[in-house]
Formats: sequence, structure tokens, C-alpha cells
Amino acid sequence: MPIISESPHLKSRVKTPYVMKQVIIGLLPAVIASVIFFKYWAVFLILNCCLTAVITESIICKIRRQPLVLNDYSALVTGLLLALILPPSISWYAATLGSVFAVIAGKHLFGGIGSNIFNPALIGRAFLMAAYPKMLTVYVKPFDIDAISSATPLALRKFSHVMTPLNDLFLGNVAGSLGETSAFCLIIGGAYIIIRKIADWRTPVSLLFTTAIIAFIFHRINPTNGSVLFHLLSGGLLIGALFMATDPVTTPITKRGRYIFGIGSAIVIMVIRYWGGLQEGVMYGILFMNAFTPLINRYTKPKRFGT
Amino acid sequence: MLRIEERKQPQHNKASEKFLSPKKLYLPLSQHTGKPSKPCVKIGDVVEEGQLIAEGDGLISSCLHAPSKGKISSIDTYYHPNLKRAPCIILECSQEPKNYLESKSVDALSKEKLKDIIKNAGIVGLGGAAFPTYVKLNPPKKIDTLIINGCECEPYLSTDYRLMVENLHHILKGAEIISRIIEPKNVIFAVEENSREAIKKINQFKSLKRINLANFKLTVLKSSYPQGGEKQLIHSTVGRCVPPKGLPLDVGCLVHNVGTCFAIYEAVYLNKPLIHRLVSFCGDALISPKNVWVKIGTTLKELFENNVLQSKVAPQKIICGGPMMGVALDSLAYPILKGTGGFLFLSEDVAADEESPCIRCARCVDNCPMNLLPLEFVKLAKKEEFDKLDIFNIVDCIECGSCAYTCPASIALVHYIKVGKKYANNK
Repeated sequence: MPIISESPHLKSRVKTPYVMKQVIIGLLPAVIASVIFFKYWAVFLILNCCLTAVITESIICKIRRQPLVLNDYSALVTGLLLALILPPSISWYAATLGSVFAVIAGKHLFGGIGSNIFNPALIGRAFLMAAYPKMLTVYVKPFDIDAISSATPLALRKFSHVMTPLNDLFLGNVAGSLGETSAFCLIIGGAYIIIRKIADWRTPVSLLFTTAIIAFIFHRINPTNGSVLFHLLSGGLLIGALFMATDPVTTPITKRGRYIFGIGSAIVIMVIRYWGGLQEGVMYGILFMNAFTPLINRYTKPKRFGT
Repeated sequence: MLRIEERKQPQHNKASEKFLSPKKLYLPLSQHTGKPSKPCVKIGDVVEEGQLIAEGDGLISSCLHAPSKGKISSIDTYYHPNLKRAPCIILECSQEPKNYLESKSVDALSKEKLKDIIKNAGIVGLGGAAFPTYVKLNPPKKIDTLIINGCECEPYLSTDYRLMVENLHHILKGAEIISRIIEPKNVIFAVEENSREAIKKINQFKSLKRINLANFKLTVLKSSYPQGGEKQLIHSTVGRCVPPKGLPLDVGCLVHNVGTCFAIYEAVYLNKPLIHRLVSFCGDALISPKNVWVKIGTTLKELFENNVLQSKVAPQKIICGGPMMGVALDSLAYPILKGTGGFLFLSEDVAADEESPCIRCARCVDNCPMNLLPLEFVKLAKKEEFDKLDIFNIVDCIECGSCAYTCPASIALVHYIKVGKKYANNK
């Protein structure tokens, strides 16, 4: 007998696993750059975080008696993103612990995929920031991984008033977290997921635009504050704007809300960069706005058709 | 709005066929929006083709005519695509085709007379909703724009397109009748850009000055879904927004489907009530998808028995209507109604994926033509908090299925919305 089901009887081929896979493809340029820059350290850190995330996910699913949802690739995305925002020199046990924490506290404590309030990868990093603050402030320069530590461009600006050349920032030849040094690779990957309509352009555009405006104003006031391009290309801003602020689960569902999310994150990020004790504020900026997402959704309901 | 694969080939470019000699017709009394019609024949009566067999009942209702000469064999409950089972007049047909001649004295008819003809011909909106046409021709407010709807946004279906290509002249004559009744300032013919042949034809007619409509304009719209929806169409053509719970006449518009215009032509010029229509039969389970003129009440079974349709494989899914809003049927016993635009026979159920958790990607929000938050309906319906559905304006939902189409988690949003609406109404 023919099958009876509710309309529509035609569905788009874009499914959750496909969305996640596209995000991974979008991250590939940054992954490749990180392997070139940080060699086996990058390979180990990425494998460590991804494997840990996937194993943790399967154990938790078993404990929660849920069907194994590994095939949606979301744990893999969490692990990969976490690896890309950690310093290359971080100890393996810290990375493992961060990855476990990201999956458990970042995702499953809230009820699993789709129910979490905060970006799991950022939760993992925030946890490590509290647990091993020293490890998260020590960075190395690309190609020179066995040398002693080196300060990131943002730290150089903030604490030594030294400006890093823009083309080094653009290509990634600077000290920093594994996947966030090369602006070029992140822009390629980010453009890919936006063009494929995996991520909405509104959040990254409003976030980057607001950052640029703030940087422009403060650069005018005092040139040691760093130029617009310096702020756009340095630190975790691009990976944050393109891959964290576009996480569907933890960002607003409304179009107007996405602009607000971007603007809000940019303000927090720049406040931390200028006046905070930390050199970089992308993580807290986005986590802060994650907390506001339900509220933003409530107050930005789209206008009813015909009113 | 949404871009969907059109899947209109090959029926799109194929001349329509005819099957007008069924043996038995099943005519449900509820073919339209509103109260079902009341039978005015008895079992055993012999009726002529076009004879009234059930009359309208109440303000919003419609009448029904015998699509063929024959004998009323019973009045009983039978299969109905939307209501599952419903009262129905069953007619045993004798094969005697009737000839219709074009009347020459149409110009002399008064407005009231024209309205009567349309009412008595049992004409309803043929775009799908089957709303009685004569009700729309008595607007309580002034209409300044008449929109002829040639947008067939559902994938697969191509009856409106074939009708525009093959019978444009008659569609325009029907539109002239409507225009004479309501006297609009502007007449807009709206088609989607994928209807190339039809656009060419309309422009030809225009340049030959064969169109007698006030301020006639052809508007070519993007092929997107749900472009043919009344509210979306009005917005796309004249930029006006029909208010929530409002009607097109609230913004001075009246929308009629091209099929309805054709039916009006037949009723007024040929004195032929609505007893047949063009129906698309498509899907990959058919050897040759096509458009066929069939009599109202013909069952799918009979079309297969007479080799009008031939199946390649047993269909896994039979759908009455388009793939986006159509109703899945459980057998071939169902009859064709006045509002039926097409049937789909699919070799596999492509929409059968299991539901996974919502990742709040908001594709449903981004693609909702009514600016709603469909994911909230699902959340509330699952928690059975039906009283909160009103806050999110669930009544506005037109059930177009755009949300469920784009959902990467395969959530059956339309199902939850329908359940939610039911409870919200029962309050």
C-alpha cells in the first residue's frame, strides 16, 4: 500500500550531517595552514581534540541511552574548532581535558545537540583558560616551533606597543592559536560556507563591520590603538566571526537578531582588547552574546506579514 | 521565498491529452470550500450531460452538474482526497458526447446575468482552494486591480502552463467577463519566468491588440515558491500586503486563477458548467507523465484501466495535488475533484528521513513567506503548550511547507503546525 505522510512530499537534500561536513570543509584551509606552520604539533593537537570529542560523544550517548548521533559530525566540528583555537604548544592532557569538557559541559549537560546555550568549543577553551591559564598565554611562532615562546600580535600591541606588519597577519606568519593565524585561509573558508548558505552572512558582516568602526575611531584618537586592518586580521576575530558566531545553535534565529549579535560581540571584544586584562576578547565576546541569544530572539520577532 | 527544483519536464512541453469517456463517475458533494451541495436527483434518475445534480446550500457553497449523460446508481459515502470519506453521487455513464456551440450574444448580457451564469455553472477556484467563484465576484469593497494568476509554483504541476499555451485566447475571454463584472482599473496577468512559451504568447496577443482589458499588464515574476499563493502574489505584483486574517479585497485586489478564467469562458460562451478540467499526472512511477482533460469524478483507477496512465513501477506514494501541499493517498480509488490540479506517482518516498534534533539553524525562519518562526511552533506543540501558539501568530501560517522542505533535521513542521492549529481552534 502506498505510504501516507504529511506534506511536503519533497525535501531539500541539505541535512544536518551535510551542514556539519560543509563547516569542516570550510575549516580545511585553516587546518592546512596550521599543519604547514606548526607541523606535527598541529597534527597531534587536531587529532587529539577530534578523537577525544568523538569518543566522549559516543560514551555520553551510550550513558544517556540515546541513539549514537556521531554520524551528524557535530562532535567532530566541536573538536576541530577547539583544536584551532588553542595554542599549538598546549600540553596534550590539557587539550584532551578541554575537548571532554567541551562535549560534556558545552553540549550534553544542556540536553545534547541543538539544546546548548553556549558554543561548545568556546566553553572548552574558557574552561582551559581557567584551569591552565599559563598554557593559554604561551604561543610560538610558525616554522619555529621548538624555539622559545613568542608574543602574539595583540599582546605585542598591548604590552609592548609593537605593531606586527599587516602582510604577516594576512598570511599567518605570526604567533597565535593553531588555526587563527592565517587570515587569508579563514576568509577563503568563511566565504565558502557563506556562499554555500551554510552560515548566514549577517552575523559575521555586522561583527566585522562594528569592529572596524570601533577600531577606526580609536585609531584616530590614538594610533597605538592599532589600525582597522590590524584589528580585523589579528587574534581570533576572523575564526570567531566566521565560524563561532555563525554556529546555528547558539546564535539568534531572527535576521535582526543576527545583526544585534554581531554588533554586541564586537563591542565586548573591543572593550576587552582595549581595556581588559587579556590581550584577546573574541571568546568572551561571543560567549557573552550567546547568553543573550534567547533574549535577542524574543525581542526581534520578525514583523508579521501584512502589518 | 524558496527556490525549488521544478521537475516540470516532460509534461511541461507536451500537448495535453483528453479522456472524456469514463464508465463510472464519483462526485463528492463537497468539492469546494464551504457547505457541501445538496443532491437534487434520486437514485435511478437518468441525467443529461451538464444537468444539475446537486445545488448550492447556503451563502458559501456551490452546485454540481452531471459531467456525462448517465444513470444515478447510488448516493453513498465514498473516497475523498481531503476528507478521507464523504457523501458522493455515483453516476453510471453512457457514452454520448455532447456538442457545445459558441454563443454570439455574450456582449448583451448584463452584469447580474453573468454572475448568475457563473454561479449556476458551479465554478470554483481551480488553483487548489476551490473557493466558490461567484462569492469573489460580489466584493463588498471596490476592487481596483484584477490579477490573473498564472503562477504554478508547485513543482511537477503544469496544468496552468499548458492551459496558457493552448487556450490563452479563452482565458483572456474569461478574464474579460470578470473584468466586466467588477470593473477594475488595472488588470495584471502574473506568470513565472519559467513559463516561456506562455509569456511569448501573451506578448504576441498584446502586440496584435487582441486583449480588451483595461490597463492590461503582463508581470513576469521569479520562479519561486510559494509565488502563486494569493498573499505572496499580490505582494510580488502590486507590492501590497494583505493584512493578517484579511482578504485580497482588503487591499483592493482580486485574484483569479487562469483555470478559473477558462471555466468562466466555457460557462458564459459555451453554456457549459464546470464538468471537466485539466489535470497533471506526473512522477517517476509513470511511464509518460502528462496533462489530461478529464471529467470531474473520474477515478485514478479508471485512468489506469483505460491505459490513459501507465505505471513503470508500483508507486510508493500517491499524492493528490503538488508535492509541497498535496495530500498522500492510500489507493487509486480516489476521484478527481474540481480543485484537483494534479496527481503525483512517486517510486520512492523521498521525504521519509527520520527526525533528528533541531539545530536552530533558522532555515525555516529565513524561508517562511509569512515571516513566522516555525521552529517555535514545533517546540510548543511538542510541549503541548498550545495556548502559547497564538503569541507566534500560528493562524497566519498558510501551510505551504517551505519550512519542512528546508529543515536539515527532517522535522515534519507542517504536521506539528496542523496539530497546533487544531488545538488552538478547540480552545
